[in-house]
Amino acid sequence: MDANKIKSALADVTAEQDPTIKSLKMASLCSALWAERGVELVVVGGSAIEILTEGAYASGDLDMCHATKASLPIRERQEIMGLLGATGGPRNWQVAGMFVDVLGPVESFARTPYRRVRAPYGDVLLMKPEDLLVERVLVSVYPGENLAARDCAKKLIAMILDGSIPVDWAEVRRLAKLPEYRNVAECVKLVKEVADELKIKSPLHSD
Amino acid sequence: MNSKLKVPCIPIEGAISYEDWLKGRRHRRELGNRVAPEILRRRSSSSDRRLKKLFNGKRGLPFTPTGEL
Repeated sequence: MDANKIKSALADVTAEQDPTIKSLKMASLCSALWAERGVELVVVGGSAIEILTEGAYASGDLDMCHATKASLPIRERQEIMGLLGATGGPRNWQVAGMFVDVLGPVESFARTPYRRVRAPYGDVLLMKPEDLLVERVLVSVYPGENLAARDCAKKLIAMILDGSIPVDWAEVRRLAKLPEYRNVAECVKLVKEVADELKIKSPLHSD
Repeated sequence: MNSKLKVPCIPIEGAISYEDWLKGRRHRRELGNRVAPEILRRRSSSSDRRLKKLFNGKRGLPFTPTGEL
């Protein structure tokens, strides 16, 4: 990406006042610049859920991880983010009126692809909703009840049940049975609860 | 994809265009509001200090109202 394009993209992101669009555009810009150096970034956690659900959940930071095995050397990270006028680093930066965190290698167990948005400055990869669902349900229950995580999971489940975010339900079930989660019963219960509220049949069963 | 869905989905394979993602925003917000409160942003987190400094005491920019999506 040449300097003029970066400058113009940065002005666009800086001026953006819708937090979800701002995050998506920033993810797009960062992903493009890191990809030019061989590193694929993925939006994770609440930031990914926000872009997937419009759940009014995320705060003013964008969390990303790298999907490729290695990240960039610290020096190179600072140089890239420096192109955007960022301050801070080497894992958290303030840039264009928000914060960007590149946290490390992505933690995903689903065999489905990362979801992809063709955003203005390049494709944005989003964490797989199969992972997000099972993880968010886990966080809503352990180590103790977490109502914000539960509401967030419910919105994600509603999008999935509605078909706005198709998922592989067999994969959801497999993940929930993994030693990393062991929360099939909790997932089945919450999916049924949302399905009942939407007056549709739950596709997730514990068998 | 759900054939009854009136907005484009975020597919398992392939990509959703930016324009289609924008088109689906209102539907997704309204659907979420049927099962949980509209605003879910946490009131505090370990990032509060930096967030509140940048966003004038808030934890981020205000969300666009549903009617304006």
